[in-house]
Amino acid sequence: MTNESSTHRPQRWDTPFGPGLSDGEIDSLLARPEFSGIRADRFPAHMPLREILRNDTRIVRLDPGELIVREGDYGHSAFVILSGKARVVLAPGLPPELLGRHKARQKGWWQTISKLWQNRRIPELRSNRRGSPTHANASGDTGFETRLFVQDIPAALDKHRTAVLEEGAIFGELAALGRVPRTTSMFAATPIELLEIRWQGLRELRRHDEGWRRRIDERYRANALQSHLRASPLFAQLDEATLATLAAGTLFETYGSFDWHVTYKQLQRQNTPADEPVIAREGDHADGLLLVRAGFARVASKLGSGERTLTYLGVGEHHGLEELYEAWRSGKPRNLDTSLKAVGYVDVLRVPTALLEKHVFPTMAAPEQRFAVQSRRPLAEDGFMEWIVAERLMNGPRAMLIDLDRCTRCDDCVRACAATHDGNPRFVRQGKVFDHWQVTHACMHCVDPVCLIGCPTGAIHRSPHGGTVVINDSTCVGCGTCANSCPYDNIVMVAIRDGSAGVFRDAADGQPILKATKCDLCSDQATGPACVSACPHDALQRIDFRDLKGFQGLES
Amino acid sequence: MSPFGKATHLLPLVVGALAALAVPWFWSAHARRTLGDPAMVTGWWLFAVFVLLGAFNARKKLAALPLGRASTWLRLHVAGGFLALGLFWLHTGSLWPTGTHRQALAGAFYLLSISGIIGWLLQRTYPRQLADTGREIIYERIPAEIARLRDAADQLVLVATRDSGSDTLARHYLETLHWFFRRPRFFINHAFFGGKHARAWVRQQCDVVRPYLGATERDRLDRLVELAEEKILVDFHHAAQSLMKRWLLVHLPLAAVATLLVLWHVLLVHAYGR
Repeated sequence: MTNESSTHRPQRWDTPFGPGLSDGEIDSLLARPEFSGIRADRFPAHMPLREILRNDTRIVRLDPGELIVREGDYGHSAFVILSGKARVVLAPGLPPELLGRHKARQKGWWQTISKLWQNRRIPELRSNRRGSPTHANASGDTGFETRLFVQDIPAALDKHRTAVLEEGAIFGELAALGRVPRTTSMFAATPIELLEIRWQGLRELRRHDEGWRRRIDERYRANALQSHLRASPLFAQLDEATLATLAAGTLFETYGSFDWHVTYKQLQRQNTPADEPVIAREGDHADGLLLVRAGFARVASKLGSGERTLTYLGVGEHHGLEELYEAWRSGKPRNLDTSLKAVGYVDVLRVPTALLEKHVFPTMAAPEQRFAVQSRRPLAEDGFMEWIVAERLMNGPRAMLIDLDRCTRCDDCVRACAATHDGNPRFVRQGKVFDHWQVTHACMHCVDPVCLIGCPTGAIHRSPHGGTVVINDSTCVGCGTCANSCPYDNIVMVAIRDGSAGVFRDAADGQPILKATKCDLCSDQATGPACVSACPHDALQRIDFRDLKGFQGLES
Repeated sequence: MSPFGKATHLLPLVVGALAALAVPWFWSAHARRTLGDPAMVTGWWLFAVFVLLGAFNARKKLAALPLGRASTWLRLHVAGGFLALGLFWLHTGSLWPTGTHRQALAGAFYLLSISGIIGWLLQRTYPRQLADTGREIIYERIPAEIARLRDAADQLVLVATRDSGSDTLARHYLETLHWFFRRPRFFINHAFFGGKHARAWVRQQCDVVRPYLGATERDRLDRLVELAEEKILVDFHHAAQSLMKRWLLVHLPLAAVATLLVLWHVLLVHAYGR
């Protein structure tokens, strides 16, 4: 007889967003115009509307001047104003100092040289475990774990254009659903009460209620779609009116799981290939141009009993153009030569064929047969590409790649990293290996940085200077959410110590105080990444996996 | 073209060093023609190159300073090493000078140069061989890796003894393979001969005992062979990585000795040379 232990299967609402709304609060929400039109009977039995509101929302009360969302932050929730007013800062946004951000400073020569004797032997030494961020003070009563205020509101209003959002306004849904940074900052203009809806609940509302779906789609169409289409070289020659027509007909589609990193890590542990939802299937009729708006998709074609990865598409890249153009030119139906599959979470825009044939094809040159060229590549060169996609490495624009044919395992890279980070290396010279390439456990500063989702204080954020993903040590509360989310295990939680090498412990429960640590690309160093310049054998580089030129004949 | 650029080969560095040697060569020849002291010219050149060679180590310590890439410094270091060798011959006018002090200096210098060349060759040879093993092992974790394999082997033999009721495999293991699993073995063979002898030895020890084992024990022995194969791989990592790290323990002290002798030589020449 084997030993077996039983446990409850994790449930959708094991961890509610907030303390949970009372029945009375839900009733008053449902009486409001934003929710009164929702038909509760359209929601499935396992996902009732009341439970979505109870578990996926929370009520937040903020004081005037308090930031609701901050430009550049990655958010995972949307807001409805229940009472009070908010101000949205119109472009250009507030300067980083007013938003409580501090400009990254590079170390000078003297600071750098003094590291030689200042680097302590005690690992993860901190002088003050709480830190002293001047813009933040801890509070937990509203659900906003750390409250941030716009510094000097009168000056902000004098110098910057703002617009007022009234009761009933909905905002923040695009960043929440699209995993893109907040495009504007908003702060409370008066004492304000907000309903914050996390992305899971927002997704359900959009899925089961036509009114919410229309509202969100219209906002996207009005605010962002046209600029997304404009960014594509395919539509660069179109005038505004034609572009608006194209935008009006474009469909939004979402594939894969928003929290793909969770299932990906589970599958990695089980050594099981990840399930990839099909966006377009090889051999099917091409019924629109697919534009990747967020995430990554794999272009594949059948080969023998398997499927061969030809390339992968990122934001702004498209699929199906060659077949659609060929069908239009020849007047004969044309099926897709390749499949397109979601790698993780993908947002796709589908531009209908009829609109392309009317507005785009007549003025464009025949497109290059991209995938046909890639399918002629020798099979022997496919391994690297397949590996990159299987390991989701195309997410990394600054991955640390070591050529093991050159690496003498001298660890000069690790020592250089430690020398520039107070004696603490910020990566581990280990990682996944393909042939003689090793992708080391160092932060890749991902295109889709899932580590940012769920950080309660915003300590881990994308630096406005260069887009590096960095951690603010003083506001990191050591919850480990980012380390657990990172699909590549590139974030390490460390116990911090005082000057006598003793571990800081929580006074309440005696547990060590932890901080999240990772590679910051030496953003405060004049040298750039010290690991790269310290390698005597040119064996280490920071690589953009979206650009594979030079790798065994592969091209992106 | 790989984003890593082309690997550096020794020949261009040697050619570069020889080309650079032309400058002090003509300079010293000019000194000879003008009744100057050519040894003084080549001597100071040699001293300057020595400082450049030593600066590479300082560059490694100052990783945070924008002093250029370490790979560029290494190329300069290697080319500078060959230049120093040429300058040394130009300076002494012979392969082996006379006088105890000069001979000590020459001995240290030659040993230093040889250790440098050996180090270069090691660093060009072993990385690819290590990569070809298909497994990466951090040097500091090799003892833990060996302990894991040893524990697994010990456990396997214990289970085999318990299941079969026979101690044939256990006795043989204690007499032979336990020695092998205790710590890194066959260092020289792995380092310079590809570990063929290590494999042959393991195979021999397993073949010897196989006829006396039952079917279940043979299965255990097969698993033991797999563990031994893994241990051979770890031993190779140990030998190769040890050599790549430890040659510096020869090169750096020799550099220190040579530097001291050079300084003493400069002092003597200036104190008593005129």
